Amino acid sequence: MAKYIRLTCALVLILTTSCMKWEYGIEEEFDTSASGEGLFICNEGNFQYGNATLSYYDPATKTVQNEVFYRANAMKLGDVAQSMIIRDGIGWVVVNNSHVVFAIDINTFKEVGRITNLTSPRYIHFLSDEKAYITQIWDNRIFIVNPKRYEITGYIEIPNMTMESGSTEQMVQYGKYLYVNCWSYQNRIIKIDTETDTVVDELEVGIQPTSLVMDCNNKLWTVTDGGYEGSPYGHEAPSLYRIDAETFTIEKQFKFDFGDWPSEVQLNGTKDKIYWLNDDVWEMDVTADRVPVRPFLPYNGTLYYGLTICPRTGDVYIADAIDYVQQGMVYRYSKDKELLDSFYVGIIPGAFCWK
Amino acid sequence: MRQLLLIFSILLVPYLAVAQEEYDTKDWARKGLHIPEVAVYGNRPIKEIGTQQTKFDTLALKENISLSMADVLTFNSAIFVKSYGRATLSTVAFRGTSPSHTQVSWNGMKINNPMLGMTDFSMIPSYFIDDASLLHGTSSVNETGGGLGGSVKLSTKPAQSRGFGLQYVQGIGSFKTFDEFLRLTYGNDHWQVSTRAVYSSSPNDYKYRNHDKKVNVYDEDMNIIDQYYPVERNRSGSYKDLHILQEVYYNTGKGDRLGLNAWYINSNRELAMLTVDHGDATDFENRQREQTFRGVFSWDHVRSNWKLGAKAGYIYTWMAYDYKRDVGNGTMAHMTRSRSQINTFYGQVEGEYYIGSQWLFTANLSLHQHIVESEDKNIVRQDGNKAVVGYRKGRPELSGSISAKWRPIDRFGVSIVLREEMFGREWTPIIPALFVDGVISERGNVIAKASVSRNFRFPTLNDLYFLPGGNPDLRKESGWTYDTGLSFAVGKEGVYSLTGSASWFESFIKDWIIWLPTPKGFFSPENIKDVHAYGIELKGDLNVALAKEWQLGLNGTFSWTPSINVGEPRTPADQSVGKQLPYVPKLSSSVTGRLTWRSWSFLYKWCYYSERFTMSSNDISLTGKLPPYFMSNISLEKGFTFKWADLSIKGAINNLFNEEYLSVLSRPMPGINFEIFLSITPHFK
Repeated sequence: MAKYIRLTCALVLILTTSCMKWEYGIEEEFDTSASGEGLFICNEGNFQYGNATLSYYDPATKTVQNEVFYRANAMKLGDVAQSMIIRDGIGWVVVNNSHVVFAIDINTFKEVGRITNLTSPRYIHFLSDEKAYITQIWDNRIFIVNPKRYEITGYIEIPNMTMESGSTEQMVQYGKYLYVNCWSYQNRIIKIDTETDTVVDELEVGIQPTSLVMDCNNKLWTVTDGGYEGSPYGHEAPSLYRIDAETFTIEKQFKFDFGDWPSEVQLNGTKDKIYWLNDDVWEMDVTADRVPVRPFLPYNGTLYYGLTICPRTGDVYIADAIDYVQQGMVYRYSKDKELLDSFYVGIIPGAFCWK
Repeated sequence: MRQLLLIFSILLVPYLAVAQEEYDTKDWARKGLHIPEVAVYGNRPIKEIGTQQTKFDTLALKENISLSMADVLTFNSAIFVKSYGRATLSTVAFRGTSPSHTQVSWNGMKINNPMLGMTDFSMIPSYFIDDASLLHGTSSVNETGGGLGGSVKLSTKPAQSRGFGLQYVQGIGSFKTFDEFLRLTYGNDHWQVSTRAVYSSSPNDYKYRNHDKKVNVYDEDMNIIDQYYPVERNRSGSYKDLHILQEVYYNTGKGDRLGLNAWYINSNRELAMLTVDHGDATDFENRQREQTFRGVFSWDHVRSNWKLGAKAGYIYTWMAYDYKRDVGNGTMAHMTRSRSQINTFYGQVEGEYYIGSQWLFTANLSLHQHIVESEDKNIVRQDGNKAVVGYRKGRPELSGSISAKWRPIDRFGVSIVLREEMFGREWTPIIPALFVDGVISERGNVIAKASVSRNFRFPTLNDLYFLPGGNPDLRKESGWTYDTGLSFAVGKEGVYSLTGSASWFESFIKDWIIWLPTPKGFFSPENIKDVHAYGIELKGDLNVALAKEWQLGLNGTFSWTPSINVGEPRTPADQSVGKQLPYVPKLSSSVTGRLTWRSWSFLYKWCYYSERFTMSSNDISLTGKLPPYFMSNISLEKGFTFKWADLSIKGAINNLFNEEYLSVLSRPMPGINFEIFLSITPHFK
């Protein structure tokens, strides 16, 4: 009997040994103030898994630091890091499915504050130190916030948009007006008077305009994705549009083939060239009348997901999400198409932000 | 005559087993657990030649009313149960495959969701299941196609009661959890009638320290002066689940049995917020509701050397998902409002024919006709009219098999199964499976088994038609699986019994379907992976009479299941080739120990999953870490027997060591928690 009891006790001891800790992070000290130029990469992570991360790349030394938000703050960035902008030494990281925008010191990566309880934030745009707009998906409102107090102070209701199919995206300012592309199950660019916080005009483009930038000639550029097969909203060939900001009219429409998936319209530092992804990487003068015949960088088996152009050197950075469940790769090309560097970042690198 | 006796005993074995289990559960408090004589090799059912099967006894299934089948499988098998939290989606996967590679049947009818392919085991109360078994790998071809990992067979059976019976169990647990179970039975020589109902509810707002998030403390100028990890409650995780099961069986006593099983589910569950959610729980509502009816009518016609069976069934499922937020003044506006309805009609005929004691021929044909209506999103079209994003599709799923099983001598058996399936208009090639077993040694009842099969799994309806992203060009997944193993059984009736098995398996799966994001912002499935899954499964079971009135039962499982991506690199930078699939543990194990003394019973349950990778490259990042997972639960039960009723009281402690842990990223699990159960079974005499 005693033998059996000893055996049972031994077994119980073995079974109760534990090593399943949910660990706490350890805060690391960073100081990148000496490096000057730097590139932040927002890695979306997998939806509903809360594994979004922030990477930081120093182009001068060709070194990358991954998970810098977690390492500096000993907490997670959240679920789906959507975008980032920098204003006066503070980086504003929009984390879509965490309903939050984090403010971080861009040299130490330490959090300095956060705006919470947003619906599903996509992008932030500053109008002043005390006023910014945050666009949303699944909400028919743009949130007005006070970034100094990290407070939501109001809303701009978008006309003819329901909550469920609500979608406002990237913002570009021209004088006192702000232009916003409306993407998911939408087909328009809206114009907001930033003094009255009201939508004063809208311009219909093609189905689902995905990005918005403004070139050196005050022309807005947007590209539509054309929807998808079977969509009750429609499915059409996508187009690239050039829109005059002053008159808010379409100047030029560049049509793609049906089934193409153009995305990620970006500008170079001088804002006289635009770039976009459509399997390959494309480059075009902002005054051009035709889309080039050959791509800037042809498709070479990578799944391009993100794109940015260094505003100082013109280097082209392209993110490859690979299979979306491993560290993505960022390729850095010179403006002469020479591969300068490549480095692994986090899961689904989607957005970039230059320091 | 001898042959007839043998056939009779073959047919009777399952019923004797049933009777044994009834004895185990109902009378243990009075009589203690019974250590049965070990099965000798000659008693192996010819139907099970070469199969790798795990059967769950009634003690495991009826341990307590708060358990779902997900809990039972976690602690009593080595298959991987991926749980997103308490009373939240729980899927199971065999041998390094995915949840949609596990086929699940209830009383013969397939209950995998035809839209998603998988089954939520947290929605199956274990008290509603009287018979559960796992068919590993190739063995599933005996029952169904598409089980590239295996299949789970769940069924109910007559209570074998005489006269009226009643059982009521009340459970009260931490986090204001209430579980109630009622069973009414009536039986006589011909009729067996049973009504079961389970109602479970809880705000499920357990506390945990959130390691993923910090709370800021600001000064007047909004400078952060302090940060801390908050102790939070599981936000938005409440549930209310009602299950009602009605059964009616009629036995003519002349070889015919009719059965009617009807199961109604009404579930209302919130979906808990992630650890990294900075929204205010009161401003958001994230809720899933489901109403499901499953009904099966069966007829079995049993003769001395043949059997004929027919089944007809119907499943209706209505599911609603609502994601809302407060837009001011307490008005909750829909961010997402999706609805889906599934109607499934089912029919099956099967037959068995014995020639002597050496041959058994079987044939089986089943049809599931699904009609699905999915409404995922309400939009406003360009012309200003409203529209719904969704799809409406139907698909017949036909599966037929024939088999020949031959046992020329007691020591050796061979079985061949040929199956073919048609989904929609597409047919699989013939799915062959070959099983052999043989007795290596009579001493110790050492038996060797081996099997090989091909298998296919068709894409689900969402894979093909979901908007946006459904891919009608998907190919069906295909695989080859090989199994081999040894088992033994020794013991002495009333003293001890020891059984064990070890098996090696190997699977090659082609065209594995995975949903991936697209640059358009939605997900879409693709046939992208080829997977080589292989490994070892070990099982052991020991029952010992330690001393007078002291008995110990130990049951253990262990699996080593590498599941390796052997496809081509997706892009030049792809690091996933040759690596373990994410979220599939390489090692898993479970141990259950039960110590009984007179009418006392102490139960210890333990399970283990090794670290799960969250990236296909198998890199472990700071934000994507899921350490090994150990869990220990205990319970103590005391039974009382009076003339007028049997009573029992049970106390259970879950997460005994109060571990802070995650099963899935950003989904915290509850710490130590307690439950108490009171059961009464009146005697109607």
